Amino acid sequence: MVIFFWLLAFLALGSALGVVLCRNPVYSALYLILNLFLVAAFYAMMDAHFLAVAQIIVYAGAIMVLVLFVIMLLGLKPINTPRPILVTTIGIGSGIWFLSVILPIIAISVPDSLPGVTPVIGGVREVGRLLYGKYVFAFEAASILIIAAIAGAVALAKKRKIEEVR
Amino acid sequence: MIPISYYLILSAIMFIIGVVGVITRRNAIIMFMCIELMLNAVNISFVAFSKLHGNLDGQIGVFFVMVVAAAEAAVGLAIIISLFRSIKSISTIDASELKW
Repeated sequence: MVIFFWLLAFLALGSALGVVLCRNPVYSALYLILNLFLVAAFYAMMDAHFLAVAQIIVYAGAIMVLVLFVIMLLGLKPINTPRPILVTTIGIGSGIWFLSVILPIIAISVPDSLPGVTPVIGGVREVGRLLYGKYVFAFEAASILIIAAIAGAVALAKKRKIEEVR
Repeated sequence: MIPISYYLILSAIMFIIGVVGVITRRNAIIMFMCIELMLNAVNISFVAFSKLHGNLDGQIGVFFVMVVAAAEAAVGLAIIISLFRSIKSISTIDASELKW
């Protein structure tokens, strides 16, 4: 099990690096899809089965297809401007600084298990009961958010009349 | 049985890779994908803490993060398309009209 975890973690970090380092956005998107599948595998390993399935359907199935459509639609060529050295140094330096602060804190302060905790399984029934019970208001609010996002996306991506006149 | 801290360390490293991507890359779509990477890293933390405390509320949090990410993808990609229409480029260096 632990070896399996290390293999998946290695692949996940490698594909995350692939997203950042690839010149071509299409390769970045494909690496991100691989990464999303691996995250779904981690959910499944942590007994969050509903989330693992939702991750694959929503992220890898819907969002990434949308991203790939947009990349293909725009027909982009890789941007070949040289990377600004100052910004790259600042970015990598701040990343290393943050990791050197946070990793020891995690390693010291997080226990392997808390006393008196019964393990839970995040199946569809348990999560659904919580979603339609305790969090029903947030769930309904999410539907309003989605409608607002649809309206916003249509309004933004539509061709404007003024541009046609020009 | 894998210790929870392993998942948290993985999540921290993935988050930092996303942050470094947003800081260093100049392609708007890749910056967008790095934001998705950060959201996923946070989701791993959510599920790990949910497992640690034996409480499903963290998984509900992940569900809502997914909802917001879907909405963000729709609006963000529409913004990128409209940006490309007006300046024929999605490099954030070219989109600097509002920069002082």
